[in-house]
Amino acid sequence: MAAVAAEQKKVVVHFRSTGNAPQLKQSKFKIGGNEKFLKIIDFLRRQIHQDTVFLYVNSAFSPNPDELIIDLYNNFGIDGQLVVNYASSMAWG
Amino acid sequence: MAAQRDDEAGWSAEAARRVWGGAVPLQVHLHDADVTTLPPPPPFLTLGPRIGYLPLLVPIIKAHFSSTLPPGIDTVWFEYKGLPLKWYIPIGVLYDLLCADPERPWNLTVHFRGYPSEILTPCDGEDSVKWSYMNSLKEAAFIITGNSKNVMNMSQADQGALWQSVMKGNLDGYMNISTRLKLGPFEEDCLVRTSSVEGHRVPVRLYVRSVQEDLYDLEDALPVGDWESISYINRPFEVRREEGRSYITLEHALKTLLPEFFSSKASRIPDDSETAPQAPDSAPNDDSDVTPRSCEKLESSASSSPQEANVANKGKIVKLVRVQGIEVDMDIPFLWVANNLKNPECYLHICVYVGTRKREPKDGR
Repeated sequence: MAAVAAEQKKVVVHFRSTGNAPQLKQSKFKIGGNEKFLKIIDFLRRQIHQDTVFLYVNSAFSPNPDELIIDLYNNFGIDGQLVVNYASSMAWG
Repeated sequence: MAAQRDDEAGWSAEAARRVWGGAVPLQVHLHDADVTTLPPPPPFLTLGPRIGYLPLLVPIIKAHFSSTLPPGIDTVWFEYKGLPLKWYIPIGVLYDLLCADPERPWNLTVHFRGYPSEILTPCDGEDSVKWSYMNSLKEAAFIITGNSKNVMNMSQADQGALWQSVMKGNLDGYMNISTRLKLGPFEEDCLVRTSSVEGHRVPVRLYVRSVQEDLYDLEDALPVGDWESISYINRPFEVRREEGRSYITLEHALKTLLPEFFSSKASRIPDDSETAPQAPDSAPNDDSDVTPRSCEKLESSASSSPQEANVANKGKIVKLVRVQGIEVDMDIPFLWVANNLKNPECYLHICVYVGTRKREPKDGR
């Protein structure tokens, strides 16, 4: 059923920098839906060469690193993508 | 008063008080490696609130073991049968998920050294737990209302007071603030009506644990060796508008949320443990305060074709569904469960034990 297909599904993640966090040359990436949010965190750290980075979904909250990307997409995705904002310091408490 | 409307309302003050008052008796042992005195200190007994979090117990536990601890500081963490416990999961959920056969007291080991940072996310005590709580609340708000504004627009004072009420288990203080967030209850009397303006989503966190397929007695469930054997799934339940009025049963909701596990008839283990208030299996539950009246099933024993069951099912059978320590009657209206057994971050946490034919070591689901 839908959920089985969803496991293989790739999710478009749209990164947006906030404050003075470095911009990415490419801002949209496809990531496997059955990966955890931790994968996005690690990926972004490597991309911007910074260990300290704060990630938010929809400029609102920081999901737990254990959450599945497909769940985040289904719950919080907008217009076919998961918007991840990132900042070098805490942006939204 | 809310209590007077209990039989009508989707929210029952008594159920909420029981959830908030629920606690797991804990017997906390200091890990051998942290013992520096002879004889080793006796274990520490305390009550862990079901809606609470382990790091919040650290100050009293630390005080108990203070005389024996080695010098220096590190993050405190807990372990059950070799499994480091995720600190952001409410204590009641950890217990329901990891203690197949409820062990009282629950024997945990506390470590003051060697934080397993490859397994657990960093924890800076109460601040981290509050941060995690507020994030979950914002996620729930987004799922329910389509944005997190209600929570983000709270004043610092209200946020602080809300958190304090959760930490102290103060339901009245919590209700004072949380009702203003307008995150519930869903459909006052648990009926789904055509008249309501639009459908809505109920935030659910599911924890699916694999157990042996031939498991008959929960006592014999193999302990959880690593977190990879538990699927942590966040899927909201979408309440769709249907013609007329109908109840959505818990069974229907779970089948919709976890089609991969519910495609064949569930064979559950008869539970003879004396867990909290419990609706007897398949008995009509009419005049009780806490359990809602019996209800029509939205979909009578969903007839999935045998082929579909074989493909999707892969020999997985649901053995047990536990919410707030209760093996819930599957015919209870789902919205009643969501309204009354949810945690203070507005998520309903459901533990599902699934019998799996072959235990493949690296198989997540």
